[in-house]
Amino acid sequence: MTLTHLNVRGEARMVDVADKPESRREASASGFIHMQQSTLQLLVEGNLPKGDVLATARIAAIQAAKRTHELIPLCHALPLSKVEVDFHVDEAEGGVRVTANCRLNGRTGVEMEALTAVSVACLTLYDMCKAVDKDMVIGEIRLEEKRGGKSGEYRRAAPAEPAPIVTGEGASGEVSLGVRCALGEPCVRVKCLAELRERLGVGEVAVPFDRLESADINGLKAVLKEMDARFAGLEEGRVLCAVNQVMAGGATPLTADDEVAFFPPVTGG
Amino acid sequence: MIRVQQQCFDAGDEQRALLAGRHDIGAVVGFTGLVRDFNERPDVQALTLEHYPGMTEAALAEIVAEAESRWPLQDVRLVHRVGRLEPGDPIVLVLVASAHRRSAFEACDFIMDYLKTRAPFWKKEHTASGDYWVAERETDHRDARRWEAIS
Repeated sequence: MTLTHLNVRGEARMVDVADKPESRREASASGFIHMQQSTLQLLVEGNLPKGDVLATARIAAIQAAKRTHELIPLCHALPLSKVEVDFHVDEAEGGVRVTANCRLNGRTGVEMEALTAVSVACLTLYDMCKAVDKDMVIGEIRLEEKRGGKSGEYRRAAPAEPAPIVTGEGASGEVSLGVRCALGEPCVRVKCLAELRERLGVGEVAVPFDRLESADINGLKAVLKEMDARFAGLEEGRVLCAVNQVMAGGATPLTADDEVAFFPPVTGG
Repeated sequence: MIRVQQQCFDAGDEQRALLAGRHDIGAVVGFTGLVRDFNERPDVQALTLEHYPGMTEAALAEIVAEAESRWPLQDVRLVHRVGRLEPGDPIVLVLVASAHRRSAFEACDFIMDYLKTRAPFWKKEHTASGDYWVAERETDHRDARRWEAIS
């Protein structure tokens, strides 16, 4: 990978694109300006001293996209065919998400134009609102998507959500109860699955077999509740149970080294 | 054949594989379940299917065995996906082959009804307004009970 804006001596240069074929180029960028809820409210209601904030920021962003080459030293002047700027007021996050989409048929990409549009939209929002809120923060300005040209398609990967796919090994956020069966000591291995695991905050726990008052599911539940108050949740709602992966009930007998699973009603298919 | 997998499946490929080299089959009934973009809440963006490895396969095998004991079936193919799925993605496939259509229709219906109430899968839906675990439905239990009356 080389930096195309540097020549062989490492000096800045403008890339000669005269021989590149024309193609449809498109790029989307986004950014976020964080502000106080009261500022956001004024913005939504149109009660800020400088007037219609979003309309002004939109025009500023379009103007900025067209003049990107004047700001960024090695950018070419591009005859953009489309600049679209959108605002999403995010009350939960407390701010405005700005997105810009630029397009043209040409020889160079338009991601700098989209990024410049987003940046200037955010700066304009700041300017329009700064009379009531100086703590605003502009951030997360980034390329979302790019199409066309030699480098092909780019799409920012969605942030991975930590989601347990299969039950078994501990997932993040689980609390271990710290009970471990000593080597050779007979115990019952207990798993809590799906919604129950999240509700109780317990994934897996081992219970020494000798602690069971009665060697069945009801006896196991009694010991679990003694060990940790969270297991009171086993009595809330409909909770099913399996012993060694076969459906079971309260009176199902247990032997040492059994695997017991508690889980909510199934919802597959 | 029973499979639990993260990968997508193609119902056409599965049916071709089931029928390959067979000339005794008179009817194939197929059911494909898909992820809807609405359920308990609108705007379902994705869902995550969790299961209980080991018990899942055993429970599905038991359901298929029960179907085979009730109807004269020639083959059953059951594929259920787990992991993260998006609206439009296939979740489950049931293919039932029999000499005659009635058995194939009924057995396919039966397998889905029992799967929904007995196989250890759990759906968590991701929506614009947050994530939640899907609750069981009384209609699914009512559907499953239809088969107890005539067994």
